[in-house]
This record gives sequence, C-alpha cells and structure tokens, in this order.
Amino acid sequence: MTDTTLRNMQEWMQNALTQPHLVQKEEVAARLTSSNRLSGSQRLAIYQRSYISRLCMCLAEQFPASREALGEELFDNFARVFLARDPSDSYTLYELGRRFPAFLEETQPDGVDPDSQPETWVNFMIDLATYERALFVLFDAPGHEGNLWPTSDTPDEDLVLQPCFNLGAYRFPVANYYHNVLEKSGSGLPPLAESYVAITRYDYFTSSIPITGPHYKFLQAMQETQSVDASLGQLATSIGVPKENLQETWVTHIRDRWIANHFFVDRNTLSKE
Amino acid sequence: MPDAAKVASQVSALPKLGLGVGLRNEHFNHILSEKPDVDWFEAISENFMDSGGRPGWIIRQIAEHYPVVLHGVSMSIGSTDPINETYLQRLKTLADDVQARWVSDHLCWTGVQSVNSHDLLPLPLNQETLDHVIARVHYVQEVLKRPLILENPSTYASFQNSDIPEPEFLRALSDATGSGLLLDVNNVYVSCFNDGSNPLDYLESIPFDRVVQMHLAGHTHCGSYLLDTHDQPVTRAVWELFRLAWQRSNGASTLLEWDGDVPDFQSLHQEVLKARDFMQGELDTTLVTQEQPVQKHTNVSNPVDFMVPTIRNHSRLGT
Repeated sequence: MTDTTLRNMQEWMQNALTQPHLVQKEEVAARLTSSNRLSGSQRLAIYQRSYISRLCMCLAEQFPASREALGEELFDNFARVFLARDPSDSYTLYELGRRFPAFLEETQPDGVDPDSQPETWVNFMIDLATYERALFVLFDAPGHEGNLWPTSDTPDEDLVLQPCFNLGAYRFPVANYYHNVLEKSGSGLPPLAESYVAITRYDYFTSSIPITGPHYKFLQAMQETQSVDASLGQLATSIGVPKENLQETWVTHIRDRWIANHFFVDRNTLSKE
Repeated sequence: MPDAAKVASQVSALPKLGLGVGLRNEHFNHILSEKPDVDWFEAISENFMDSGGRPGWIIRQIAEHYPVVLHGVSMSIGSTDPINETYLQRLKTLADDVQARWVSDHLCWTGVQSVNSHDLLPLPLNQETLDHVIARVHYVQEVLKRPLILENPSTYASFQNSDIPEPEFLRALSDATGSGLLLDVNNVYVSCFNDGSNPLDYLESIPFDRVVQMHLAGHTHCGSYLLDTHDQPVTRAVWELFRLAWQRSNGASTLLEWDGDVPDFQSLHQEVLKARDFMQGELDTTLVTQEQPVQKHTNVSNPVDFMVPTIRNHSRLGT
C-alpha cells in the first residue's frame, strides 16, 4: 500500500529528482496519473530532466572560466555529480556554487587533460573555481558604495580594509586566465606560477589587483588586526626586515596606489554604515 | 489567526497597474538610463532580498520611478518542511523597502528535508494539502502583514490522489485565507495541454474576483507535451485565452515574463503592449506567433539561470 500523505509524496518525488536511477516504475504508476499522451513515468521524466539541466545552467553561469577550462561536456558531468552529492540547501541560487571548489578538491578530477600532469590540472581547476566563487560572492556582498572613500590625506590609523575585499593565494595566475577567457584571448592551461590577488569593489565593479607575496602577508595581517602599524610590524617580523624600511616602502610605493584602488575605507565612515 | 475577510478586502483594494514587464538583469542599464514608459515592473524576490551589491541598488533606484511588485520562487508554500523564517523576514524587509504593491509566489513546493530543487513542483490537490496550505498562507500573511498572491504553476504531472481541480483548490484557498490570485494564462494553457483537459473549463472555474494579476509568457511545444520556457513570444492560443480571462478579470494588472534568450527591452515591451489590442479585441492575428512543435530542444521548464547575475560585465583586471 502506497503511503500517500503529503510528506511522503514530497520525499518520494524529491528523491525521484535527485536519484532518478532508484525510481521504480510500479511506484510511479501508483502515484502519478497518465495523460492522454504520456505515462506517469514520462511525465515524471520531464521534471527529472529539467531539474538537473536547470541547475547545471546556473552553475555554468557562476563558473564560466572553469567551464571553458574543462569543456562544456566535462563541466556538466562534474556539475551533475556535484549536484547529486550536494543538492542545493538554500532558497537562493547564489549559494548553489558555494561548495563547488571544495567538491573539486575532494573528488580530484584527475586525468581530464591528457597533455598535462593530472595533479597540475586538478590544482588549476580547484584554484580557478575558488577564484570564480570569490568574485561571484563579492559582486553582491555588502560594500561601501554610497559612502565617502579615503584619500591620500587620510591618516594610517584610520585606514581599514573595505568591507567588500577578498585576498587570495593561488598556484596559478587564475585572475589572468579568467579575464582572458572573458576577453576570448586564449585559454590554455597557464604555467605553474604562484599568484596573489586582492579583489576590491568600487561602484559595483570588482577589480582583481595582482600583488606580491609580502603584500599578501601584510594584507592578511590587516584582515586580522585592521591596523596598518600592527600589520607592518607583523610583516617585519615575518620576513626579517626592519619595520622602518617597510614603513618607507609603504609610504612611497604602496599606500596611495592601494587607496586609489579602493583597498581601504576610513574607519570613521565605516562606523556610520 | 488573521481575518480572511479583512485580507480579502485588502486584496480588492490593490491597484490596477496596467501592463508591466519582468525586471531582468539584461535591461538594468537601459531602464535606469532611458526611464522607458512602462506601467510597472515585477522583480524576482530572491534576486534582490539578500543583495548588498548592484542588484539591491538597482531595485531601489527602479522603485523610485516605477511601481514594483515582488514575485518569488522559493517560498515553497506547499512544502511539509517548516517555513524558512529568515526568508520570510528578508522578503518582508525588501517588500517594505521598495514599497512593493504586492508579494506573490506559486502554489507549489520546491523541496523537503532542507533541499531546494529550485523547481516549482506540483502538489497533490486534495483536502490534506488544502488544509496544509491554508495554515501556511495564514502564517505568511501574518508575518508579511500583507496579503499573499499565489500563482497557478505550470505542471507536467498529476497525482493519483488529487481530487480537487486546481481552480477549485485556488478558490477554496482564497476563500479561507483572503489571499489573491495571480492567474498565469500561459500556465493554464500548458498545464491543461499536459493533463489533457480544457483550458476554457479551467477559466470557467477561476474566481476572477480574486485575480489581482495575470502573467503572459511563451512556451515550447515539444510534441507530446508543452514546456513553460519563457523564452519566446506568446502564442496565438495563449493570447486568445488571455482575451477571455482579461474580459472577466475587471482589469487585472498584466505582465509578460521572458527569461531565456531575452530580447532587447523595446522588443520585450512591444510584446506586452500587444495585450492592449487583445483587451480591445483588435489584434491583427498575423502579428502573433503560431505554435509549431519543435523537433529537438534543450530548453527547461521554469528556467532559473536568468536569476544568476552575470558578473562578467562587472569585473576587471587591475594593475
């Protein structure tokens, strides 16, 4: 006897969408009616096909460069496995790709490019997906638009990282790759080369700014302390350079450029948001 | 429990907004710069309710110039999972912020066991479901402090234990809760074709005094079934159905949905303006799309990829 309570029906139908290979024809017939053109199974199949295709299309929108790198067919295969393992648990599609980079890391899709070392290719895909997710999140995160931005006159002690900021360390130049894909200017596997990227947002545009390893350490310290002075001190200790030297480099080469690139906001304007 | 009669009177007092267009990412810049002569916009609630970025800024700009209605796809009013309180609160905040003329969603469920299929899944239409949905609509209206407007979904399957026709289900739901109806004429056509029933019979049973809004959209004819794809012009059969429905709706606000292969704004607006001719019974039928079954298609029902923002146009590589 088929349990026809609403709860049971919903659990059954959802399982039929996410695990279509487990559906039994007899159960479909017991639950769904045929139409004058289609059987219950054929009608269910419309939902099954659309479920996976719909979400694959959404993932493709969120990871366009990863899809370019993997190729459409392979990307869709990964997307299907990912969605079967990690179905959406949020009311918003914006969260659909949240776990996709971690999925690639855990499943290690090796051997997708026979011309490259499998491990190299896997690491590239993981880093690229991580970068794409960071960009996607920053596009819609709360930012500083509508408020005053600091100038070169803003004292160091008032500078803090802006709310819409991401710091990334990658094994490949993924930001370059991503923008090359968008500009359709070549998308071969880039060489193995560490890259550090700060992503900022201004006027609802994200900018990916290449930075150096020491810059990355400094900005990591800024994320932790939100203090320029303390971060310079941490960096000095970390790389074994006198703090006074770093202070000079900060003032002469970095400070104004990063203010112009909207790395920082004035903590006094932030407190009013 | 809120008084259904009080909610019903609020529904009756909702404005007649005219002919509107679904707000889509592709048209944001055009709308802000050109301020086209459109009566109103319908925005997908989930695209804006959590936005701290450009979408959130855009809808607030648009709401300063146009009436805005919020249309959701994730309330999951028919699910047996608990209602998502965070979702409801954020929806309420957005509705208050943009002074939404009303808030709508679908008579459907989207998932259980904390999973979201992001599809508008069909409900078995029987007394158990009706009681369940009535209780949830009461609760939602209490939290939102406004009526809920529910849309008939496009459906591809029906349940053996359904014994209440959809229009009667909607009528009973509306009577019990005071909620309003969003009559999607294309969905009526699609669902009736897929179920082998007559769309004219469906319209006969709809409580038109509860219809606040109507939707128009294009679908894909896949031979043995229709898919609600929102990616092409409205077909002649749906226009004809719309004409009948509009004449009985006492001037319900009408909106065109177009979510796949979205045309430029002017073309989209022209398509919805055809409704004026149908309202007056003067449309040159050579101007409307004749339905042709397609041999092969990759379209999906209830597409949602249009809801994912295209960030590529808002990203650059700095130095």
